[in-house]
Amino acid sequence: MIHLEDVRLKLQSRAGPVEILRGISIDVKDGEAVAVLGPSGSGKSTLLMVMAGLERPSEGRIAVRGTDLGALDEDALALFRRQHVGIVFQSFHLVASMTAIENVAVPLELAGHADAYPRARAALESVGLGHRLDHYPVEMSGGEQQRVAIARAFAPGPGLILADEPTGNLDSATGEQVIEILFRLHEKSGATLVLITHDERLAARCPRTIHIEDGRIAADRARAAQ
Amino acid sequence: MSESTGSESFATAWRFARRDLRGGFRGFAIMLACLALGVAAIAGIGSLTGMVRDGLARDARILLGGDLDIRVTGGPATDAQVKWMRERARVSLAVSMRAMASRPADAGPHQGRSRSLIELKAVDGAYPLLGSVILTPRMTLDAALKADASGIFGAAVERGLLARLGLKVGDAIAIGLARLTIRAEVENEPDKASGAFKLGPRVFISEAALARTGLVQPGSLIRWHYRLAYPPATDGAALEEALDAAFPEASWRVRNIAEATPRIQRYVDRAALFFTLVGLTTLLVGGVGVAGAVRGHLEAKRDTIATLKCLGARARFIFMVFGLEIALMAATGMVVGLGIGIVLPLALAPLLAQYLPVTAEFALQPLALAAAAVYGIAVAALFTLWPLAQARDVPAAALFRGLVGSARFRPRAGTLLALATAGLTIAALAVASAFRPSFALWFIAGAIVAFGVFTMAGNTFARLAARVARGLGAAGRPSPRLQLALANIARPGAPARAIVLALGIGLTVFVALAEIEGNFQRQLDSRIPEAAPAYFFVDIQPDQVAAFEKTVRGVPGAGDINRMPSLRGRIARANGTPIEQVTVGPSARWAVESDRGVTYAAAMPANTDIVAGEWWPADYKGPPLVSIDTRIAEGLGLGIGDSITINVLGRELTAKIANTRQIDWSQLGLNFTMIFAPGLLEGAPQTFIATVMATRQAEEKLAQAVTDSFGNVTAIRVREALEAAADALGKIGIAARLTAALALVSGILVLAGAVAAGRRERTRDAVILKITGARRRDLALAYVIEYGLIGLGAAVIAAILGTAAAFFVLTQVMEADWAFLPGPAIATLIGAAGAVIGFGFAGTWRALAQAPAQVLREAARG
Repeated sequence: MIHLEDVRLKLQSRAGPVEILRGISIDVKDGEAVAVLGPSGSGKSTLLMVMAGLERPSEGRIAVRGTDLGALDEDALALFRRQHVGIVFQSFHLVASMTAIENVAVPLELAGHADAYPRARAALESVGLGHRLDHYPVEMSGGEQQRVAIARAFAPGPGLILADEPTGNLDSATGEQVIEILFRLHEKSGATLVLITHDERLAARCPRTIHIEDGRIAADRARAAQ
Repeated sequence: MSESTGSESFATAWRFARRDLRGGFRGFAIMLACLALGVAAIAGIGSLTGMVRDGLARDARILLGGDLDIRVTGGPATDAQVKWMRERARVSLAVSMRAMASRPADAGPHQGRSRSLIELKAVDGAYPLLGSVILTPRMTLDAALKADASGIFGAAVERGLLARLGLKVGDAIAIGLARLTIRAEVENEPDKASGAFKLGPRVFISEAALARTGLVQPGSLIRWHYRLAYPPATDGAALEEALDAAFPEASWRVRNIAEATPRIQRYVDRAALFFTLVGLTTLLVGGVGVAGAVRGHLEAKRDTIATLKCLGARARFIFMVFGLEIALMAATGMVVGLGIGIVLPLALAPLLAQYLPVTAEFALQPLALAAAAVYGIAVAALFTLWPLAQARDVPAAALFRGLVGSARFRPRAGTLLALATAGLTIAALAVASAFRPSFALWFIAGAIVAFGVFTMAGNTFARLAARVARGLGAAGRPSPRLQLALANIARPGAPARAIVLALGIGLTVFVALAEIEGNFQRQLDSRIPEAAPAYFFVDIQPDQVAAFEKTVRGVPGAGDINRMPSLRGRIARANGTPIEQVTVGPSARWAVESDRGVTYAAAMPANTDIVAGEWWPADYKGPPLVSIDTRIAEGLGLGIGDSITINVLGRELTAKIANTRQIDWSQLGLNFTMIFAPGLLEGAPQTFIATVMATRQAEEKLAQAVTDSFGNVTAIRVREALEAAADALGKIGIAARLTAALALVSGILVLAGAVAAGRRERTRDAVILKITGARRRDLALAYVIEYGLIGLGAAVIAAILGTAAAFFVLTQVMEADWAFLPGPAIATLIGAAGAVIGFGFAGTWRALAQAPAQVLREAARG
């Protein structure tokens, strides 16, 4: 599913060039759930951006579902994300001017699905928000907003879900609920899940955990049984 | 991956755009106002001038007095010529001239003047062929002018003459040798627009009464207008050709309805060009506000754009969604502007009615509205494409990394092409719709320079502010309020740049117009007592010259007579080529349009400025020579040694050009465009024209003495003519300043928008400063310093640029004198600083009033 080969990323900052990823090589199988752990600034969010085709590595190769992302231009990458990737952000990033159902329908509409709205409705019902279809983000709690974001990520049926600290902006109880939903949908859809977190407890729910430190893989462990 | 994957169609983009605009149009208020104002100005001006042009075209026959106007000077048309006309059309005759009317000596005492220059029009019974002369009390013109039982003819006069001479309907009036009865006031004269520039009130008399006046003398400046009204289905062009063929030697000037009102059409063309360009300036200044509003809107949408990209939206789709939003807003602004532009003439037409010979009847002017819409679209595109292109290139990674956009934005080739197209469209439309394209080109060049200068000035100003602020700190002389003010000017995203740019351009236009108008007023005001003669006396018969001079010298305070023979001649050929076949340059068009005054002289007149060639010897007796105005020579492509032929009373006279002269008409002295060497014109019927200097006290006595003694001599009072010109100029000046004020209003809108855009950031800064101990008074003073510096900065540059523009227009385009008038510049400095402080402070006042805790709580919520 995901193949990273000696991926390096160097960015310019005011203080000079900063090497954020320093030779990351990972393989993630179809349907696998992987937690990426690491302290702030270790490069884990950047790794997610690279996997989503949002950031181009300075060196190395990245292929997702057999597609070499380095060979795609910006527009092709956008199409690729539309077809294959769902992203859940720490800050939800719902479009403020759209209702819940409209937010969920966005990727479906972009993909040209005539049944975008029925599917969006079903997705929202699957996260327990069937009664909040026409509410705007500002009218919803943080947990509800994140559930809308999860529905949006899963609605088009992508093969890969990338979640960046999905509980980072939530209290622990709400976070628990959101994680339950995330894992339930992952299992139901069979999509590959890459979960960025610094929460060991949350990471423990994934069969495989990758530790990133200072842009390098410090550890890559698979649990035998959950 | 195929292109057909997905649906980033127009319909989807439109749906997304509509959703995004649910929050309302509030952020677009300034954009709407800027576009509406600029488009309204252009559409309103275009509609009004379109309506006036329509009126001129619609009433062309009435304004001309018929289908054809044949103007003869030097004597009436021959019987054969009149017979030819009458065989083909209905014909009417109107004889026009300048003359003096006086209050009869037996009319009793009167406080005002006893004589006045008039525009006399003697008409036959058929006049007017078209339209009607409206009189008060109501009666026909024929009834008003005919002789009564005692043989006294009637006159119909404009009200102004009655007021001037203290007369009323029923009183007697003397014109030349005739005594007439005023039977009515003239309310409307159908063909008044087709004649020459009016120096006095109109007086109608009959053709028979004219004979009694004794004013028709050989060489007098009289125009016999034969108006022809064709039967229906007449081929006018063929008839004109037949007229030419029948009387090839005739020296008349023939005008058809296409040339009915050349003077007014020229005036309308010039006014349309000037006001349209000022309107365009308003729109361009507003463009800065449009760009600011769009940039602010798209900045606020940065997360949404990045989110959509993360969800798979391509750059093109982003461009489409937000392009549609902007287009919808721009279209709304333009529709509002066009709506105002459509109804604006309803308000302005009544104000113009007294200055125009036609009624500007309300009608939609599709061409004018289309031009305004194209200007609006092009300006909106010019100022929104750049921020839109920036938004399109917002990376999706912006959601993960806060500071994106620090990298320098490089627009794609397509964006640059679209920007160039928008700019060229504005330029092309301005040039194509200008009656004088070079003027529009200069305007465009000026606009580019002004935008460049003010953009640079804004940046330099901000950098300078940063440097001074740092310098104050480093020098150990901290001045917190000044440093805060300077920091506010210098910080990224500060309103200073937009304010300097938009307000600066508006102020530049204002200063330039004020300097130009001020210079004209100054010349008119200051010149009269020094250089100008008190009177021009025209139509002095050769046998009256000696007596005339004796009369003038007999008036205490009068003296310095300058006298020259005066004939009328029309340029007929240049180097033997008929003038109709010569490509005449702009500098000579006025000279070939109708007959000009010509004279002859042995000695070179005083103050003559020879440009090329030499003056002839005083005793010259060789082949005919002529000295001509250098502008006419240039326009006709003639040089020294070339020949020019003039038609004097039907006779063509050819002379070699001996020299060309630069004539300074602004000196108001006696001068002629063509002065012939002795030997050619002495035998032709002629009169004399004289200028006389006089003290102000002697002016009235001088006119009285001359016109009492010489009923046929017309006195043109220079002071009155200049006052009339100054009055007209004053009215034009008010209109120009009002229009220029639109550009300023646009600049103030930009100011308000720029200040409002930074309000949130400013509120946060104010709260932080309060937390660190700043008092409200400190902050208020810092704001005053900040806005005062911005206003003064913009005004200083505007004063320099506006003055330079005025200098260029006056000295290079109008070839007039120039003097720097400090008034407009100082007024601009004070006004601009006051306005920026006022509007800026009004926009930031609320920032001072915010409670720190509330702001901090909101900031914490994000």
